[in-house]
Amino acid sequence: MKHLGAIAGRELRSLFVSPVAYAVLTLFAVLAGFFFLLSVQGFRETMAYYQQIGQFDVLRQLNLNNQVIGPFIQVMWIVFLFLIPGITMGLFANEKTNGTQELLMTSPLTMWELVLGKFLAAAAFVTILIAMMALFPALLFLDAGTPVLGLIFSGFDLADPNPEGLQMWAGLLGLWLLGLTYAAVGTFSSSLTRNQLVAFFLALALLLILWLLSVVADLGVAEGAAGTASRLSGVLTWLSTSDHFDKLARGLVDTRDLAYFVFMIGTFLVLTKTSVESVRWR
Amino acid sequence: MIEADNITKRYGDFLAVDQVSFRAGAGEVIGFLGPNGAGKTTTMRILTGFLPATDGRARIAGHDIFEEPLAARRAVGYLPETPPLYPEMDVTGYLEFVAKIKDVPRARRRSAVESALERCGLADVHRRVIGSLSKGFRQRVGIAQAILHDPPVLILDEPTVGLDPIQIREIRGLIADLADPEKTEARTIVLSTHILAEVEAICRRVLMIHEGKMVLDSAIGELTAEGQSLEDVFARMTLREGEAA
Ligand SMILES: Nc1ncnc2c1ncn2[C@@H]1O[C@H](COP(=O)(O)OP(=O)(O)O)[C@@H](O)[C@H]1O
Ligand SMILES: [Mg+2]
Repeated sequence: MKHLGAIAGRELRSLFVSPVAYAVLTLFAVLAGFFFLLSVQGFRETMAYYQQIGQFDVLRQLNLNNQVIGPFIQVMWIVFLFLIPGITMGLFANEKTNGTQELLMTSPLTMWELVLGKFLAAAAFVTILIAMMALFPALLFLDAGTPVLGLIFSGFDLADPNPEGLQMWAGLLGLWLLGLTYAAVGTFSSSLTRNQLVAFFLALALLLILWLLSVVADLGVAEGAAGTASRLSGVLTWLSTSDHFDKLARGLVDTRDLAYFVFMIGTFLVLTKTSVESVRWR
Repeated sequence: MIEADNITKRYGDFLAVDQVSFRAGAGEVIGFLGPNGAGKTTTMRILTGFLPATDGRARIAGHDIFEEPLAARRAVGYLPETPPLYPEMDVTGYLEFVAKIKDVPRARRRSAVESALERCGLADVHRRVIGSLSKGFRQRVGIAQAILHDPPVLILDEPTVGLDPIQIREIRGLIADLADPEKTEARTIVLSTHILAEVEAICRRVLMIHEGKMVLDSAIGELTAEGQSLEDVFARMTLREGEAA
């Protein structure tokens, strides 16, 4: 694994010499800020609603974790859905168009070094994205009385206006794992084609399918299916990213959900390795 | 240095390389000649470990390419038909990356990159972005990449294709320099081409391949001693079927 750093480092350097990476980061920061404001706005409307109908006990129980941070993390998956395929689309496709695949495959590298090196570069980028967007909810952890919290809570009286740190970390962990899973799917898509655009749409399609499997499963259950059909819908729900991510985003850490993400990342990396090796059998 | 025994490659039903065998010793400079589609690239891709052979064996510097692929690859420098370059990288950054993946020890990387830049005449452009270089310079970067880890075997696939006459002369000069026994310890060079003059200019031995089969393996000196020109042999070998049809 001694070449891992060389492969990942080259990939990241190539990403960051292009203005595209910075454009993507800027766009991401703007979108994250926008969605964060939207969550805060939604929170204020909810508070206003309960105040108006006089449900003060419900109002007092509202908190930043469930009303702002959770929804914010949950909505960011849409940004990841479009952004991560954009980051990963070139990973292997570009090697084919550049002809550098021949350099890599005739160098004393193992296939795992190559695949994991590529994935590691994408994973590093995802980690940067998570760190950037974490700055927004971090604002909520400033001491009470700062302008941010003052603005959010002005005019309302809550039992505990302070957010819970662990719950936020669980949500970010969920989004990070989701991002890594998307990166693995994107890496795999890039290994299937020499065309970046095809790799992008392929990844997008795969990710949407992964997300929607649980919806399909729900339809099956709604039909009142029994026996094998309900078992199938259980499998589909398990395979789908949605439920695992939703639980983490709400702050519920369950090792089974963590295992799911590890399983998905591993599966797609094994598929990538098989696909990259397959130039050798054709 | 290179021992190829009955290398055979099928793409589906199509037989691209048919039982090619040859031996190449240290210090030999061999021209691998054949018309387009003869199977030169395929043979070279097999020797460098990019493609597996359907049948046959090969050893590079004593390492079987299928059983000890990493050791065999460490012994080869390879310039593919299109030089394998990252257009967004600068020349030095690219060569440093290649040094890492070719297992050049950390302590020797800097000097390896510098000497490759020097030998390939790239010193003046070492900070330039590869995508902004002319075709001739890109080809030199491709050659620099191949010699970087000082391999005992160099495999160059059509190193002058697509270059203008001046660039061709420069690259041929560079290859002649790499082959010069006074300047390097014995290195085996195999270069493919479909240009006869190229073989006559640089090589001391010629392998001719046609429709996947080896049709000639001879020292250039022997051919001329027999009063044959390379051109006659090439025409005879490659046109035979055309005339029959
Ligand atoms: N990946 C491939 N799939 C199918 N046929 C191929 C492939 N690569 C090369 N060929 C065929 O094999 C023959 C030899 O090709 P190649 O080795 O590239 O010849 P050369 O380098 O001598 O021009 C050609 O007829 C070519 O069309
Ligand atoms: Mg060729």
